[in-house]
Amino acid sequence: MRRSISRAVPIILILTLGATGCAPEGSGGSENADGESITVAYQTTSAFIQVDALMKKAKEDFESANPDVTVNLEPIQAEENDYATKLALMQRSPDTAPDVFYEDSFRVRPDAEAGYLLALDDYLAEWEDWDTGFIDSAKQAGVGSDGSTYAVPMGTDTRALWYNKEVFAQAGLPVPWEPKTWDDILSAAETVKAAIPEAVPFNIYSGTGMGEAASMQGFEMLLYGTEDTLYDDDEGKWIVGSQGFKDSLQFVSDVYVGGLGPEVAEALDSNYYQQLNGEWYPANQVGASIDGSWIAGNWLADGPTPWPEWSEVMAVTPMPTQDGGEPGATSMSGGWTLAVGAGTDNPDAAFDFISTALNKENSLSYNVNASQVPVRSDVAEDPEFTESSPVSGFFSDLVEVTNYRPTTSDYAEISGNIQQAMEAVMTGEQSVDEAAAAYDEAVTSLVGEENVSQG
Amino acid sequence: MPAVLLLLLFMLGPVLWSIWGSFTNAALSGSAASEPRFIGVDNYVALLTDPDFPNAVWLTVVFLLVSAVIGQNFLGLGLALLMAKAPKAVRSVVGTTVVAAWVLPEIVAAFACYAFFSSDGTLNALTGLAGIEPVEWLFAYPMIAVILANIWRGTAFSMMIYEAALNDVAPEITEAAVIDGAGSWKRLAYVTIPMIRNSISTNLMLITLQTLSVFTLIFVMTSGGPNQRSTTLPLFAYAEAFGLGKIGYGTAIATVMLLLGAVFSFLYIRVLKPGGSS
Amino acid sequence: MSISTATPRRSASRALASGVLLAVAACFLLPLAWLVLASLDTGASASLRMPEQFSLANFSAVLTPEQTLWPLWNSFLLSAGCAIITVVAAVLAAYPLSRYQARYNKPFLYAVLFGTGLPITAMMVPVYSMFVRLGQLDSVPAVALFMAATSLPMAIWMTKNFMDSVPVSLEEAAWIDGASAMKALRTVVVPLMRPGLAVVFIFVFIQAWGNFFIPFILLLSSHRQPAAVTVFNFFGQYGSVAYGELAAFSLLYSIPVILLYVLVTKGIGGSFATAGALKG
Repeated sequence: MRRSISRAVPIILILTLGATGCAPEGSGGSENADGESITVAYQTTSAFIQVDALMKKAKEDFESANPDVTVNLEPIQAEENDYATKLALMQRSPDTAPDVFYEDSFRVRPDAEAGYLLALDDYLAEWEDWDTGFIDSAKQAGVGSDGSTYAVPMGTDTRALWYNKEVFAQAGLPVPWEPKTWDDILSAAETVKAAIPEAVPFNIYSGTGMGEAASMQGFEMLLYGTEDTLYDDDEGKWIVGSQGFKDSLQFVSDVYVGGLGPEVAEALDSNYYQQLNGEWYPANQVGASIDGSWIAGNWLADGPTPWPEWSEVMAVTPMPTQDGGEPGATSMSGGWTLAVGAGTDNPDAAFDFISTALNKENSLSYNVNASQVPVRSDVAEDPEFTESSPVSGFFSDLVEVTNYRPTTSDYAEISGNIQQAMEAVMTGEQSVDEAAAAYDEAVTSLVGEENVSQG
Repeated sequence: MPAVLLLLLFMLGPVLWSIWGSFTNAALSGSAASEPRFIGVDNYVALLTDPDFPNAVWLTVVFLLVSAVIGQNFLGLGLALLMAKAPKAVRSVVGTTVVAAWVLPEIVAAFACYAFFSSDGTLNALTGLAGIEPVEWLFAYPMIAVILANIWRGTAFSMMIYEAALNDVAPEITEAAVIDGAGSWKRLAYVTIPMIRNSISTNLMLITLQTLSVFTLIFVMTSGGPNQRSTTLPLFAYAEAFGLGKIGYGTAIATVMLLLGAVFSFLYIRVLKPGGSS
Repeated sequence: MSISTATPRRSASRALASGVLLAVAACFLLPLAWLVLASLDTGASASLRMPEQFSLANFSAVLTPEQTLWPLWNSFLLSAGCAIITVVAAVLAAYPLSRYQARYNKPFLYAVLFGTGLPITAMMVPVYSMFVRLGQLDSVPAVALFMAATSLPMAIWMTKNFMDSVPVSLEEAAWIDGASAMKALRTVVVPLMRPGLAVVFIFVFIQAWGNFFIPFILLLSSHRQPAAVTVFNFFGQYGSVAYGELAAFSLLYSIPVILLYVLVTKGIGGSFATAGALKG
């Protein structure tokens, strides 16, 4: 009766299951049948290939030192926001969680709380370089809320103003440029606009599509130059309704609604980063921008868009505070880390891979190629690093005035709310006050009335 | 029966899961990821006070009405009626073109529309010929762009359903009406339309539900932006659940969408009371 | 057609109809034409234009194993698996619906029809959680099963309509010979409705092939992802830079379903067999 058919169904299922077995295995080659293997997930984009290069090198080093362990590289082709989503989707399930992954330092805490990350204290205690090589303050990037260390920093970064000297000279602006206040920036942008109408006078990343770049290179570079901040560390409360918040949004509005920035539609495009730094800057079509040390990585000989003249044409200057108040300049620091998945079957190999990837030699070439600020003192002092780029010393020195993002696990979501407020203002959809009020409401409902304070 | 099992597991399962999940604070990261808690109707309360939610509902309703009920449905019916009059050669050319947009994988259709509406795309090139300044369609009028895109993509479905239905209308009936002296509009309103009433109700139901599901098209063209001006419910649920990691909250939005789909579906069945299907 | 003599008024309305239709078709053609022309143009932009030089360079640029061939193979496995499961399950479900006039048939059919349109996108969030819980994330068979379930309501509906057109008398003969209902189904009904099942199979296959959102969320390893996802990644990376390659990749990915569609409509008689099966 029915049985003959119900027998047929499993057979078909088995056939399809069997067929899927033919799918290609990990991009790093087929898995070793009896040997062990680890999976390494990281971000790569057409404009961001330095981590990919690092991982390929580390795989080679690691596999020659450990012939019985195979490293499967799992590059995720996505912009920052989508990478974070994709990584979170993978981490959620033990079957798909990678053994080692490239993780933004601000996600270390929430992910450690979620139980995705393996505490590395025991491993680090036995890793000599950790004591001798790594700068103590940089180690904070990998510390979870329980005090354990969950991730090893790869480098840190600082942010400042980049400008194109040729564009400035053409507009009749003084070079070197030394803006003292926000108004100096805006007036320089106006001068560029008047002189070269087709150029983008000034860029500040903004909007949800830009992800964390909008929050950090954009909004927080402004806010932390005012009297206010996002979060009161002493009381452990989020600050709402501050004047600095509104002033920062007003600056975004002045740039975009005031016509001093890129076209809003272009600035919201997912390929914007690449267009700005890869195409427009080299074509002398941008005046100035707030950006990180790493954008020079685009222009190096083995970068995605080589531009040999960049070191003559491009210059940097610290981001001034709002009204020139102390300490006169500001910066934000973040950085990325490598972490081990909590569910890994092979924690020893996973940690060994990290220590290979971030040994002195590999850290050095990564920090040079990606224009990072080193977190290893031996790298920071190495002449190969100090001589690698005319701006490396400048960005390292900014560490003195730099700020760090709030390290609570709510930050990721609140950062998303900041991006929404920026987008609402840059598109002219909401006034500064409306957008700030919407942010206050969102933050309050997220963390609760008792965890906010009026700025 | 395997079909019933499969449906139970993968259709009813998620629906129930959806309802349950919407009462938790499950998240992609943070402590709520390891131990989601039951938080009652908090997600729904949050949803009601979230200013982005009415925005998403409104945009969804606009998207459904304008692109599916009005756009695809009427254009599809119009095309089918005209096709009945047109010579065979025209019929096959038009049919092939319209259907091609429908057969293409959704993501490819979305790329084609993205390019069509982008600032240096075909549409601006055409309006430029008429001396009109280029418009950033995807940015300035994101809803218009995604609505037109959905009409472009989905009309073929309605057209094919109506063509098949009109083929079944016995020519004698319409001809009897001609002999009675009924004008072509009257014929359409009093003879043809009532004859294909079943098809209309089926079609409306199917295209509404399909349009409610549209995600890829909007995701590729505008990602719901700028500033959420094209964030329909599927985009909203995606952004909250996977973008911001609020799985529980995103699930509550999903539950609302399922309800909305159910309401539309029942509405059509009741209003149009289609007869037996065989 | 009893009145076929063309009166002037009739041919005028024919011309008008043709004119309107061709105008609409022209609008529909523009984005499609861009896709084809851009794929052949190494300097393609977002706008429709004649390439200065026709070239297959875009195709050869994307036609690498990692970029195109493996993803297409993944798409094939996923779609074929999904379609096989769907057709088998649909036949079993449609048979009693078509043959026995039970009281619950009509409500069940409406429930099925309702299921055809259930916003799958709405279910992706809970389905993701469910896959995490079941440990089936990144599993191709599980995703194929889920996709089969989502296409099943439509497939049941179509299969039932096809089955209705198979005369009962033939089965009755089989019954008299002592065959069970299932045997009659297998030996009499299924062979007779082979073309119909082919339509269902291809219809499901096309849908699965084009599905982006389900594998985008549920299949995470790059080597398991079907072409829909890799083509999207490509767009995210090079979207507004390499329009030509994007178009070429998109076309390579579309061609199989276009061919299958043509096969269904031309090979299986009625030019709109698919739609015919759908009508209420």
